[in-house]
Amino acid sequence: MQLGADTRGVRRRLVAATCALLTASATRSQATPRASIDEMLSDWRLDSALAYYHEDGRIQAIEPVVSVSRDFGDGETLDLNFTFDSLTGSSPNGALPSRKPQTFASPSGTSLMLAHHSYTTAPGELPVDPHYHDQRFALGADWTLPLTRLTRVTVGGKFSDEHDFLSVTADASIAHDFNDKNTTVSLGLFDENDSLSPIGGAPVPLSDYALFEKTGHKSKNGAGVLLSVTQVMTRTWLTEFNLSADRFTGYLNDPYKIISVIDDGGDTVGYVYENRPQSRTRRSAYLENRVGWERASAALSLRYMSDSWGVHSATAQLNLRQWNAERDKYLEPTARWYRQTAADFYTPWLLNSAGPDVTVASSDSRLGAFRALTYGLKFGMKLNDKFGRDDSELNLRVEYYQQTVESAVPGPGSLQGLDLYPSLKAVLLEIGFSY
Amino acid sequence: MLAIRFKAMASPCEVLLHSPRRGDALRLGAVAAAEAWRVEGKYSRYRDDSVVAWIHRNRGSEISVDEETASLLDFASHCFDISDGLFDVTSGVLRRAWKFDGSNRIPDAAAVARLLPLVGFDKLRWQSPRLLLPADMELDFGGIGKEYAVDRAYDLLAAQYAGPFLVNFGGDLRANRPPPNGPWQVGIERPDTDQTAAMVLDLERGALATSGDSRRFLLKDTVRYGHILDPRTGWPVPESPRSVTVAASSCTEAGLLSTLALLHGAQARAFLEDQGARYWLVH
Amino acid sequence: MNPGKMNLAVIVAGAMFLSGCASLGVKPWQRDVLARKDMQLSAGSIDSAVDDHLYFSKEASSGGRSFAGGGCGCN
Repeated sequence: MQLGADTRGVRRRLVAATCALLTASATRSQATPRASIDEMLSDWRLDSALAYYHEDGRIQAIEPVVSVSRDFGDGETLDLNFTFDSLTGSSPNGALPSRKPQTFASPSGTSLMLAHHSYTTAPGELPVDPHYHDQRFALGADWTLPLTRLTRVTVGGKFSDEHDFLSVTADASIAHDFNDKNTTVSLGLFDENDSLSPIGGAPVPLSDYALFEKTGHKSKNGAGVLLSVTQVMTRTWLTEFNLSADRFTGYLNDPYKIISVIDDGGDTVGYVYENRPQSRTRRSAYLENRVGWERASAALSLRYMSDSWGVHSATAQLNLRQWNAERDKYLEPTARWYRQTAADFYTPWLLNSAGPDVTVASSDSRLGAFRALTYGLKFGMKLNDKFGRDDSELNLRVEYYQQTVESAVPGPGSLQGLDLYPSLKAVLLEIGFSY
Repeated sequence: MLAIRFKAMASPCEVLLHSPRRGDALRLGAVAAAEAWRVEGKYSRYRDDSVVAWIHRNRGSEISVDEETASLLDFASHCFDISDGLFDVTSGVLRRAWKFDGSNRIPDAAAVARLLPLVGFDKLRWQSPRLLLPADMELDFGGIGKEYAVDRAYDLLAAQYAGPFLVNFGGDLRANRPPPNGPWQVGIERPDTDQTAAMVLDLERGALATSGDSRRFLLKDTVRYGHILDPRTGWPVPESPRSVTVAASSCTEAGLLSTLALLHGAQARAFLEDQGARYWLVH
Repeated sequence: MNPGKMNLAVIVAGAMFLSGCASLGVKPWQRDVLARKDMQLSAGSIDSAVDDHLYFSKEASSGGRSFAGGGCGCN
């Protein structure tokens, strides 16, 4: 063979000759394709769960979640998820307990006089709206497309609809691998648009509760950025470090929360609707480590967050999964520790002598200082023989969550001796199925 | 990930399947193994019941071969033309002079010259399906047998299984798609004994074939004589790389390219560049 | 530690982390443990989604591992 002229033709003719050989042999082959639904399903994955949540004396919720993933080969993937949740029960309205009974109107009420739209709280009890109920339906999708062998782009969207709240989010991120795919860096952006249609209308902020001054719909928007670096440390240890920031503007109040106005003797003289700033900027840093051993794996994650409302928080979570000898069953205990400081404008009550200087205030316990502990246990079992796929699984998870208020300021006067900051205690039960 | 392993064509063979049903894994492994043993049995020069043995018993007479053998002979004929005689399935007779046992006994020029008239695909009469192999000539499909078996097993599995899989017969391999966690990691042995680390390639789909002389060679006066002989001269090609791995869409194509590359000796790299092939050379 | 110092510590830790990255890692054939399902960073994503929804509705923080933002009216 001489090199030079038309040696490119060699390959072309070789490919043609090979095709002729292999096509001839394939048509001769007796095997008939047995493509069936089951084999086509090998590109799809299903993860689903049904969760039941119960707070001591308060909210209960049922939440089915279904997530479907498809791998197209080439690194292109599509993930779709559906969530439905239904909440019922009692939700704190932000007011303090009192030595006297208190009567409140439900959000749809326009007067305290109409009994079926109002509720009464006994002396010493934390005021909760017992008629709280809501249903939410949410959809999410993420599509990942490889641009090159080492770079890929993901675009996603989320949609959530409930009685008084509609949210639409769009996000996009790009990821690149370095160092033999030992390092991955990704940058993502998201944009969220929410519209609120509070039942009965959005109240005029800090207005007197008894006047029922309500306006119409509200909205808020947010946008944020997430920078993530994933690094393979050793054969058994993987690390992820994320930095993120986001800013939300618009109507950030909880339209149903009120603040008790008290006099110097501690007696409640009235209530006002809360008001929060119209913007909130958050920054957080997150670190996750995953370590694998022969029959176990552990995940430890840490997060630090601080925002423009004066809240900083720290979170630490540890999951430890342990397999049995046959590697078909596992037990996974988990523990989470969380602590947050109060927002600058958090206040458990307002003094009526404080005057009109207050422009932002909220007694929402979720903006107060507290720490929370979660203990959980998950049991999982592989279902190979039943469903044929070697990674089908059935699992059961139980979690206990408890919040304890910190730096609790005792109430003045008649509020002394009352438990103004009861702990939140909740249980989560979840059954899951993957295929 | 399940691997079904077996031995065929004097090599360790395996089929890797991602997430198959348990029963399917054994069935698909058996399909691949059965095909490997079938091709080996049918075209082995060591077996009395093979088609090659039957062809050799009928040298000098015109015979009608079966469809599969006919398509292989057509392929061999095309490759003989395309490569200007470098690829030649009749070159097996040269084995009578060359014994690649790692020793320093190279044949004398006269012995090789006596065998040359018996080499040359253009010397047999082939008009599908009729073959006339002259007396004393030999047919040897060893040069493409393993790669052809990989492609055959691959086609059979692809017709029956939609998930990612990889067929590997002794280092000649082919995959249809990468598993979800990332590409198949293929280790290519380095022929030198002092190199313990293998070179690892990421393979998403397609075939790899390796030709080399790591195990069969002669060494005399520090000149290494690889076992790939140039059919036109009867001698090994000087200065050929120790090992050539080529990636192509089928294993047969990859195998042909790697064999032809070795036969180009010092020009191996230039040949592969000219063909626009993806390749890895070890000198 | 006041917030300003905390921010600086986080950024320094991040930079040290990134500069050390180039020399770390494994060869492609050493990815057996890392390929396990329970070692993926997205492992347990349904559990995380349920938990994240719970913590979003009961606490003032969200995100970190993924995009912050609620997507629901529960806070």
